[in-house]
Amino acid sequence: MGEERQVMIETIDLHKYFKDQHVLKGISVKIYKGEVVAIIGPSGAGKSTFLRCINRLEEPSSGKIYIEGVDITSPRVDMNKIRSEIGFVFQSYNLFPHLTAIENIKLAPVHVRKIPEKEAEQKGLELLKKVGLEDKAHAYPDQLSGGQQQRVAIARALAMQPHMIFFDEPTSALDPEMIREVLDVMQNLAAEGMTMLVVSHELGFIREAATRVLVLADGCVIEEGLPRQLFNNPQHPRTKEFLSKIL
Amino acid sequence: MKTKNNEALKENCLEKTTWKERYGHWPWYRRYEFILVSFLALIAFGFALPRPGLPETLFQWLFIVFYLLLFLVWAGLILIDVEKPNWIKAIAATLILSLFGWLFYRYSGAQWDKLGYAFFNWKVLSETGSYGSTVTGWAELFQGLLITLQIAIFSAIFGTILGLFLAVFRSLNDPILNAFIIIWVDFFRAMPIIVLMMIIYYALPYLNITLSSTVSGIMALSLNSSAYISEIFRAGIESIHHNQVEAARSLGLTTMQTMRLVILPQAMRVVMPPLTSNYVAMLKDTAICSSIAIMELLKTAITLQAWKANPTPLVAATIIYLIILLPLARISTVLENKMKSKGITRSIRRQPKAA
Ligand SMILES: Nc1ncnc2c1ncn2[C@@H]1O[C@H](COP(=O)(O)OP(=O)(O)OP(=O)(O)O)[C@@H](O)[C@H]1O
Ligand SMILES: [Mg+2]
Repeated sequence: MGEERQVMIETIDLHKYFKDQHVLKGISVKIYKGEVVAIIGPSGAGKSTFLRCINRLEEPSSGKIYIEGVDITSPRVDMNKIRSEIGFVFQSYNLFPHLTAIENIKLAPVHVRKIPEKEAEQKGLELLKKVGLEDKAHAYPDQLSGGQQQRVAIARALAMQPHMIFFDEPTSALDPEMIREVLDVMQNLAAEGMTMLVVSHELGFIREAATRVLVLADGCVIEEGLPRQLFNNPQHPRTKEFLSKIL
Repeated sequence: MKTKNNEALKENCLEKTTWKERYGHWPWYRRYEFILVSFLALIAFGFALPRPGLPETLFQWLFIVFYLLLFLVWAGLILIDVEKPNWIKAIAATLILSLFGWLFYRYSGAQWDKLGYAFFNWKVLSETGSYGSTVTGWAELFQGLLITLQIAIFSAIFGTILGLFLAVFRSLNDPILNAFIIIWVDFFRAMPIIVLMMIIYYALPYLNITLSSTVSGIMALSLNSSAYISEIFRAGIESIHHNQVEAARSLGLTTMQTMRLVILPQAMRVVMPPLTSNYVAMLKDTAICSSIAIMELLKTAITLQAWKANPTPLVAATIIYLIILLPLARISTVLENKMKSKGITRSIRRQPKAA
């Protein structure tokens, strides 16, 4: 854990307003290569907004965001290129319903990375195998269960060979028996050293896989620390209150 | 015990048992022999009906009504019989409707021969057509039809391309562009096509822009339909959930790639039914081109009618319009229904399943 670790994401005093609602109130964090950072906090704290600002699905109102050293709040930056290097997994999967699983996966590699169709298909099948769905390549999203859809969505994000992946409550729309299969895939990714930013309240997963936990409340990071330390010995009263509700 | 009961119930309710299976034979009034013989008897009876022309005595009137009622009872026996196949019912229904028509034709007292001479005088169309023509009226109408189709197809193509572009630019939510598009759409929707066509054909030459009548017609129809079609596409695009855009953008697709690869393919399903009915409407609107002297189907028919001093060409044109438009209208309804049922199966499928 030396000082020379590469910084993947750095936000400096990040603010976000929706009209006059102040949702993010100056967030400054650094996330290093290979870290798995869990973000927890009450509903409406701004967790989703924070993730979405970092790849500018939402425009940040003020502050600086550096992705691998590049200031992405500068107007000259090629946001499509940056986004193609950040995987994003949504709570509601957001697969493209008119495309099969394999077509979902190879769409971006073919059209953004300009990888030949054959090669993208090959890669896509490998990824499906990795998430345990090699037999579902030609199924449409509405023929898949929620857990299967979410695993296809993860494969779709991985197909771009991203440098980091954001997960926004990837399991909260799933039935309990499907949560495990998605978390397993995520845990494998973490073990491979992928940099991950995970909004989730799956404490089991956080304990096992997360290297750090951020607690977000009212648009501020009120506390951070190692999972075990934070769960067992929370400092901030709001963290205590929140944890007592979900533990 | 319970399952046995259930099975008995099932057998009673689900197995189709006909009268014949239950009793070994049909009741006499449902047998095909009876139906056929009574039909022949009714036909024979028909020869006793009064002569054509308005009946003179009350007795003759009563006789006709009685005959009609007998026939109605005969058809009714077939129509209300749930175990008769549909084709027999179709024949019975056709027969009873024809009988109505025939009785009306025979006893209404109308001057049918004169009506036929005026409106269904097909000879007019098999002679050579209007002034200086060397081909028959039918051939001229066919020429007109080709021009109608040509105008409709070109207008559909240009209108769709223009409408699609308007809708896509509208989705960019640029305030200046939006203002321009809203004005465009409202203007061309409010503008009667015939006025638009006349302005393009008769007024533009004063600005030194002279277009042929066909080009003017196509232009007016394209501009008009572009307004409607852009609204159709806009509704389609807006029906796609925003999270599809976010998923696409998060993968690094550009705005236009997102539109082309993700939004439009999904919107097409929503758009197809209204788009088809829009094309049907536009095919009808080609008739307006007759106002700027394009020799399309209607104008050809009007010219023939004037030259022959007989409206039969107009009747023929009507029939041709119907032959082409009816199937198209049908297709758009079928598409719409398909769309609806698809929507239903989708929402059914989306409910959580047992793993
Ligand atoms: N597009 C938007 N327009 C206006 N307000 C928004 C928008 N998105 C989020 N908000 C508001 O911002 C606040 C934070 O929302 P956010 O979705 O980031 O919370 P969250 O921490 O992810 O909550 P949850 O756990 O419920 O997902 C909420 O009060 C929400 O109403
Ligand atoms: Mg959220």
